[in-house]
Amino acid sequence: MSTDDTSDAREQLLSLANQFYEQFEDGTVPSMEVPTRTKTNIEYDEDSGVWVYGDRTSTRSANSVRGAQKLLKATYAIDFLARQLEEGRSSTLRELYYLSESWDLDEAQFSSQDESNQLIEDLEIVSGVTREDFHMRPEESGATVMGPLEIREQTRRGEREIHCQEDVGEGGYQIPNNPDTIEFLDNDADFVLAVETGGMRDRLVENGFDEEYNALVVHLKGQPARATRRLTKRLHDELDLPVVVFTDGDPWSYRIYGSVAYGSIKSAHLSEYLATPEAQYVGIRPEDIVEYDLPTDPLSDSDVNALESELEDPRFQTEFWTEQIELQLDIEKKSEQQSLAARGLDFVTDTYLPERLTEMGVL
Amino acid sequence: MTSYQSRLGSGDGIAEELAEGQRAISIAEFFEKNKHMLGFDSGARGLVTAVKEAVDNSLDACEEAGILPDIYVELQDEGDYYRLIVEDNGPGITKEQIPKIFGKLLYGSRFHKREQARGQQGIGISAAVLYSQLTSGKPAKVTSRTQSRDEAQYFEVIVDTEENEPEISVEETTTWERPHGTRIELEMEANMRARQQLHDYITHTAVVNPHARIELKEPKAEFKYERATDQLPAETEEIRPHPHGVELGTLIKMGEETDSYSISGFVQEEFTRVGQKTADAIIDSFRDRHFGREMTWQTPQAHEDVAIEETVTEAVVNKGQEATADFADGVADTLTSHDRVAHHQVLEAVEAVGDEVQAEYGTTFGSTVRENAVEAAWGAITATRESDIYALVDEATTTRKDDAVVEAITERLAAKFEQGERHRVTRDDLRSFVDRAADMTEERDDATFGDTARENIVDALWETAALVPDDPPKIHDVAAERDTASELLDAMRAVDIMSPPTGCLAPITEDLVEKGLGKEYDADFFAAATRDASVHGGDPFIVEAGIAYGGDVESDGSAEVLRFANRVPLVYQRGACATTDVVKNINWRNYGLDQPGGSGVPNGPAVIMVHVASTNVPFTSESKDAIANVPEIEDEIELAIREAARELKSFLNKRRSMRQRREKQNKLATILPEMAQKLSGVTEREDLEIDNTMARIMNDVLVARERDGETVRLVVENNDDTNADPEITEIVDAEPAEVNGANVVEMDGEWFLKWSPTVSAGEQATLEYTLATDADPEVAVDGIEDEKLTVDA
Repeated sequence: MSTDDTSDAREQLLSLANQFYEQFEDGTVPSMEVPTRTKTNIEYDEDSGVWVYGDRTSTRSANSVRGAQKLLKATYAIDFLARQLEEGRSSTLRELYYLSESWDLDEAQFSSQDESNQLIEDLEIVSGVTREDFHMRPEESGATVMGPLEIREQTRRGEREIHCQEDVGEGGYQIPNNPDTIEFLDNDADFVLAVETGGMRDRLVENGFDEEYNALVVHLKGQPARATRRLTKRLHDELDLPVVVFTDGDPWSYRIYGSVAYGSIKSAHLSEYLATPEAQYVGIRPEDIVEYDLPTDPLSDSDVNALESELEDPRFQTEFWTEQIELQLDIEKKSEQQSLAARGLDFVTDTYLPERLTEMGVL
Repeated sequence: MTSYQSRLGSGDGIAEELAEGQRAISIAEFFEKNKHMLGFDSGARGLVTAVKEAVDNSLDACEEAGILPDIYVELQDEGDYYRLIVEDNGPGITKEQIPKIFGKLLYGSRFHKREQARGQQGIGISAAVLYSQLTSGKPAKVTSRTQSRDEAQYFEVIVDTEENEPEISVEETTTWERPHGTRIELEMEANMRARQQLHDYITHTAVVNPHARIELKEPKAEFKYERATDQLPAETEEIRPHPHGVELGTLIKMGEETDSYSISGFVQEEFTRVGQKTADAIIDSFRDRHFGREMTWQTPQAHEDVAIEETVTEAVVNKGQEATADFADGVADTLTSHDRVAHHQVLEAVEAVGDEVQAEYGTTFGSTVRENAVEAAWGAITATRESDIYALVDEATTTRKDDAVVEAITERLAAKFEQGERHRVTRDDLRSFVDRAADMTEERDDATFGDTARENIVDALWETAALVPDDPPKIHDVAAERDTASELLDAMRAVDIMSPPTGCLAPITEDLVEKGLGKEYDADFFAAATRDASVHGGDPFIVEAGIAYGGDVESDGSAEVLRFANRVPLVYQRGACATTDVVKNINWRNYGLDQPGGSGVPNGPAVIMVHVASTNVPFTSESKDAIANVPEIEDEIELAIREAARELKSFLNKRRSMRQRREKQNKLATILPEMAQKLSGVTEREDLEIDNTMARIMNDVLVARERDGETVRLVVENNDDTNADPEITEIVDAEPAEVNGANVVEMDGEWFLKWSPTVSAGEQATLEYTLATDADPEVAVDGIEDEKLTVDA
């Protein structure tokens, strides 16, 4: 949280405001251009190995009432953020949504939190500044890390040095909203294991998987928050640890892996900062469902649609994913991580993971 | 009718007995028993009908005299009875006519005229008198004063229902404050249950007669309908019937009664729109039907085997070699100068050449010789008819017919034209020839001849057939022979004849339809359409439609449909009227009106008015409440309504887009200034001026003034995607100079500079002039809708 960043972020916001101002001054129609945020407009960046936005852009222009309203809200948001930065304060995305209720002009108020979130994304993209630098926080995601890692965190109440096994309870170390405030001190880790569900994380911790295999168990808590993805990337980049992702065997979980490894569609502008392209997928693979004869649920219609849509998603155009997704469409089944318990509570830690990780060359 | 059937029987006492009980009933007596047919079926309705008949009469009387009608209607409640008083400022009625007009049914000036007028049969007002007399026992009280008279005439009249004759009970001179006019007072058993219809009638009359001033006084209320124009309806003139509109019976009657001698004279004299040319066309068309045409055949050329010259030479005997040779040569030359000849042309040729040769050589070419020569020449010409027909049939049928089939039908057709005959046929004869030949060919030669193919062959043959020169019969003979008369009627209908003149019609005209509606309905939009005159049954008619929309027009429920015939409102039997049928069958959704279920009278704040003006409006009944479903009239009603509805549609579309535009503008007018203000705050820069941005967003025409020393520039920027033609007037309080084409007018120390530039889409125009720096200009812009105009000056 350097002063430089703050004044730079503020500068960027004001330059956008100035752009609007000058458009009015010239008698032209105020507008701003942002990349189109759909899966058809993301492309693989060879240099960084992540997926970023393509050339297609959408224009937010005051030409229509809708467009004008968007720009009005953007102006109000810029005003708010500029002031927040000036005062050295921060707020959450949800607070911004509720805060808009206090704005005197009805037209400037957000109609849903999606709208305010999207606007913040727009501002991030246009200004090239992340929302963390606007001092906008997401809601507490509660994602945690457990493993042989010692860090130093700058908190509002001073610096804290924490060992992520010895200094924490069963719940592990909670990842702060801005993981860039963490400094890595020491570690004995061999790899990072990102786990989708809380139940599986607890099973791994109870079975002492982190200790036995020197694993940093990162709990993703469903679709991972930016902070979780950022920390994962830093663990990989700075500590040179391999990253593996362990999720349920269904299309939604593949997307969780996708956003860790390739970057998400909505935040493709931040892919370089958030994605870990080297992350590998452990399972559950559709192949595992067959191989281990796991208990299954049938695919629902929306599952099938999601799988088909993934077949067209540029991020999943690899041999591995095409094969796995087609297999799953073929067997019409999905399985949860915890279905491994059908083979005994220790099966996952004694058999499945060691086998898979050895296979992948991580162990 | 008296019956003499009993004569056939034995005894004759019964006949006398029956005859005693049978007598002619008077028309008045008939209507007394059938008063519902005249619209007097109840006390409620009787009152409305009586008002209607009296007012219609008054309006007609005023218009005929070229007087702007001023009509006063009063209803007085007399307990069980109502007294109806109708006064007009018409020309008045002469003393002799008064009793007859009001007291005798079927007396009127219009029954025999082809002219547009409200009343036609002369039944209406006397029926009202009769009704009053039957229900109250009181006579009709009539006061009338003609323009030239110092005093008025007062009569009390009753109708003798047995004799259909008026009876005058009181007759005296009186004084009356109106300089001229007529007043009728009727007392009748009636009630005001049909008050709504009465008001409809009066209101609608006011709509359709914008030149009339009408006042209605009821026992407890009073209504005034002012006039909207001083323009009287165009004067109508009487016309003769149109050839397309007579029926056979009428035609025969006209033929019997005419003073004309020939058909040509008859059609020109007795019908409208028939001159010499049309008469000739009618007669040609009549000849085709009456006499038929003569088939023509190709003339053989000299080198062919059976050359005309040789056969004619052979046919002439004892006339000397040279004369014979000349004669034969002459006939052959005359005939071969045509490509095809008919029998009568051979006759003519032989006659002409015979006369010539006879004169030259002094040898008599008598009728026997000539007949022989004709026969010989005609024989030579018709010898090749089969190849002639082959060529025609081959041409007329599709290439898919194979040659053998064409030859087969040709052979059969050729056989119908026998050697030596004149080959005179009507089109019907031809068709039956072709049918028979085709049927046979189908049967024997396994071919098919569809209707189209047959008709094509008939057409081809008929085309080549020649008109005959025979004189048509005299008109009296035509009239005497029903079939011949029918041929004449067909002939008249087959000829294209100009529509009847419209001088006999007085449409309200589009402008006055709108004014009339505007007078009684406070609507946002008016449209009207007056169609060109058209004909039904020989009577010309004009349909007009008007639409009023929005404003204070009742918006609940369905639109109001106003029906008029010859400027008379029709208030009863709405469902039986052709007008209503047409309105219901139009898809009003196409025109922007709500129409539940896609048919029926549309919903919404609309008034739909239809006026049918004709020399003879076809009603469904004598009470004249509904227009009959005559296809020609229905078509025109539909076209008229659609024409007006199209205007309504574009108005509604425009209004919708203007409303959306206004909404957008209103929204933007709150959003953008706020945004601009916020931006000034955030950027800490001065306040913004956003008019130009607004104009650009709204595709507006922006007029902005720039001043540079003494130079004033008006910049007209068109942000729309169509051309703009604003009229820009700059008003200044000092004399301007170098006005660059502006039209300058000075008035009371103010100068008006006017420009009318055309600015293309996306372009701008600059209007420049010079003005003292301390002068204060003010701009006014016309020709651009307010919503689309931004003035920054």
